[in-house]
Amino acid sequence: MNLGGGTSALKGAAAPLNPREPIDWIGYLFVAFFAAPFLIFNVGPVFFGAYVAFTEWSIIGSPRWVGIQNFDDAVSDEWVWVAFRNIFFYAIIIVPGVTVLGLFFALFVNRSYPLAGLARTLFFAPNVVSATVIGLVWVWMLDTQFGLVNNLISTVGIPKIPWLTSTDWALVGVSIASIWWDFGLAFVLILAALQDIPRDLTEAATVDGAGPLNRLRFVILPHLRPVLSMVITLQLISTLRIFSQVYVMTNGGPAGSSSSPIHYIYTVAIVRNLYGYASALAISLFVVILCVTIVQRFVIRETL
Amino acid sequence: MTADSSIESSSGRTDISRRRMLKGTAATAIGLSAPFLGPSRALAADPIEIVHWSWLAASDGEIWAQMIDNFNEAHKDKGVQIKMELVPEEQYVTKVLAATATGRAPDFGWGTAGKGAALARDGVTVPLDDVISEVGLDIGDFDPKAISAARYPKYDNKVFMIPMDLMSLQPEINLDHVAEAGLDPSSPPSTGEELIEWGLAMTRRDGDTVTRSGILMTGSGVQPTVTWGIVAEQMGFRRASDDLSTAAVNPAAGIAAMEWVLALFDTHRVSTRDVTDRYKAFGTGGGSIFWTGPWTLNGYVGQGLNFMTSNFPNIGGELRTYFEMGGLELYKQQDAGRYAATLDAVKWLSDNSFLWTTIGRGASPRLSILERPDYKTAGHPWSVRGAFVDGMEFATIPEIPVVAGPEFTIYSGGNFLARTLEGVWAGSKTPAEAMDALQERWQAGLDQG
Repeated sequence: MNLGGGTSALKGAAAPLNPREPIDWIGYLFVAFFAAPFLIFNVGPVFFGAYVAFTEWSIIGSPRWVGIQNFDDAVSDEWVWVAFRNIFFYAIIIVPGVTVLGLFFALFVNRSYPLAGLARTLFFAPNVVSATVIGLVWVWMLDTQFGLVNNLISTVGIPKIPWLTSTDWALVGVSIASIWWDFGLAFVLILAALQDIPRDLTEAATVDGAGPLNRLRFVILPHLRPVLSMVITLQLISTLRIFSQVYVMTNGGPAGSSSSPIHYIYTVAIVRNLYGYASALAISLFVVILCVTIVQRFVIRETL
Repeated sequence: MTADSSIESSSGRTDISRRRMLKGTAATAIGLSAPFLGPSRALAADPIEIVHWSWLAASDGEIWAQMIDNFNEAHKDKGVQIKMELVPEEQYVTKVLAATATGRAPDFGWGTAGKGAALARDGVTVPLDDVISEVGLDIGDFDPKAISAARYPKYDNKVFMIPMDLMSLQPEINLDHVAEAGLDPSSPPSTGEELIEWGLAMTRRDGDTVTRSGILMTGSGVQPTVTWGIVAEQMGFRRASDDLSTAAVNPAAGIAAMEWVLALFDTHRVSTRDVTDRYKAFGTGGGSIFWTGPWTLNGYVGQGLNFMTSNFPNIGGELRTYFEMGGLELYKQQDAGRYAATLDAVKWLSDNSFLWTTIGRGASPRLSILERPDYKTAGHPWSVRGAFVDGMEFATIPEIPVVAGPEFTIYSGGNFLARTLEGVWAGSKTPAEAMDALQERWQAGLDQG
C-alpha cells in the first residue's frame, strides 16, 4: 500500500510554523463573524450568570455578593423540589415515548409500504412546528369539556379526563404533546440508521430461520445501538430543559404539578426579577443535566 | 513596513494585520448590534419622538392605539410624535430594567399602581411632583384616591404615575342564562346567599359533572386567587396591616375565605375546575356569572354577547372589591430635558382620556371627565359599564406598595400567593397550612421594606 501522499500530508501538518511567515488573518476574520457573537452572547453570559448566582442583583446597579445564600435558599424552596421531581416524571414518560414511537414508525416506513414517503413527511411534520403552536393546539385537543381527545375516549365509555386541569393529569397532558412534537427527530435519525443496515444481514437471518422479532432483536437493534444512544441522550437533555409546552399549556399548574426547572427559573427571573436566585437555579440545573448525561451514557454503554 | 500595515503574501492576496482585523470586527459587531441595543429613537431633534412602551394587548389595546394615533394626529404639525412599542406584560419590567441599565429606557410606559415599588426604589421610574407643576397638570382634577394610589409611602411619598383609569372587579352576568333560569335581571345577587342561589339556578350538570358553571371559576390561576382575595378582605382578613409592618392580619378570616372558594367546587358545585380559559368560557356561554375587569368589555360587546354587569355582592360582611389603577410612568433618561416634553404628552393623553374611559377600560380618575353630562351615555352601554364606574366606591382592596408587592397581589396566576392557594384548590394543602406559608413569606416581604 502506498502511503506516500498521506505521510507527506501528515508531515506538512505537523511541521512547526515558521515564525517569520505572516499569519493569514483573513481566516480568523471569517471565524470571527461566528466567534465574536458567540463569545459575547453565549459564553460571556454563561460566566456572568455563574457570577450572578452568588449575588443579589436586579439589573440596575451592581450585584451584591451574597456567597452561597441563593443555593441555600434553593435547597429550602419547596417549589424547586417540585420542579425537579416533575422533570424526573417527564423524563420517565417522554424519553421512552419518543424513542419507542420513533423506532416503531421508522420500522414501519422502512418497509416501503405504499405511501411510505407521505408517512415520512407526516411523521416528521410536528417537529418543524414551533412549540408554542404545538402547545396551543394541544390545549384545545386536551380540553376537558370540549376537547377532541375526551370526545373520542368518551365514545368508548371512558369518562372525561381533566388532562390539563388536574394535579394528577397535567404532567401527563403536557407529556403527550411533547412526545407528539419530539418524536419526529428520533424517527428521522432511526430511519437513517435503519437504511444503513446491509440488507444481506437481514436476508441471511431470514434464511437461517429468524422470524421478525428475532431479526429485530439480534440484527436490527444491535446496529441501532449508536443512534438509539444518541436519541436517548438528546431527548433526555431536551426533556430536562422542557419549558415552552409547560408555559403555554399549563403555566406550571395546577399547584406546580406540571412545572419544570426551566419554567420555575423563568418565573423567578422574569416575573419576580430575582436574577441572582434564578442564576443559582440555572447552575444547579446545569449540574443535574451534566450528571444525568454522564450516568446515562455509562448505563447505555453497559446495557445496549 | 510596520506591523500595522497590510502584508502582500506570496500568493498575491492582501493579508490583514491583527489590529486592522480587530478594528474591522469590532466595527462590524457594533454596526450589526446597534439597532438592537434599545428602543429605537430618532436622533434628529426635529420632530421629537417620544418612545412609549405598552403591554395592553387585549381588546383594550386597540383603543389605546387609537389614543396614540389621536395624539399623533393632533401633533403632526407641532414637532412631537409618540412611537408606541408593544412589550409582553410578563416581560415588561425585565425589559424596562435592561433598557434603563443601558441608558435606553422608553420615555414612558404603562404601569399598575402599587406594583412598581422596586422601580421607584432603584430610580427607574421618575418622581413626578416637580414636573407636574412645570407642565401645569392640574392634580386637583384627579380623584384623591387615584393620586394617593400613585404614591409610594416608603419612597418620600412622591407621585410616580399619572393615573389613567380606575378599575375594579365586578360580576358580568350572561343574560341568556338569566332568562333561561327565570331570574330577575333587575335584582342581581347582592349577598353571598343570593349569589349561590343564582349560581345554582344557572349551573348545568351532566350527572355529577358540572358542564356549565353558574359561577365561572378555574381550578388554578387568577380566578380562584382573586376570588379568595376579595372574599377574605370582605371577611376581615388583611394581607398587611395599614402601617405595612404585620402580615396576614386576622388569618382565621383568610382560612374561612379559602373554605368558601372550595365550597363553590365541592359543596355547592356551581363551579368546575375544568375550565382552562376563563375569558373564552364566558364569551362562549361556558359560565354564567364571571367577575372580571372592565378590560373585557370591548371584546364581549364587540362579539355581541348578551350580558350585564352588577356590583360585587357582599359575601363576607364588609362590601369591598379589588382595586386596580392603570397609569403612565416616566422612566429615567440620560437627558433629563425629555421629562417635561414627555409629561406634556402624557398630560394630553390624560386630558383626552374620555375615549379611553368610556370604551377602553375603567372609570376616569379625572373629575372633570366624570362630571361630563355625556359620560354615562357615551361609549359602551351603561348596563355593562356602569358597575365598573359606580363600583369604584367600594373598590378598596389595593396593591401592597412594598418591594415585595407582587407577592401580595391577589390578581395573579403565578405569584407566591397563587401557587400557594393552588395547593388548597387541588387538595394537597390544607387552608391552615397555606395560611402559615403566606404569613411567613409575606412577613419577610414586609420586613424587607
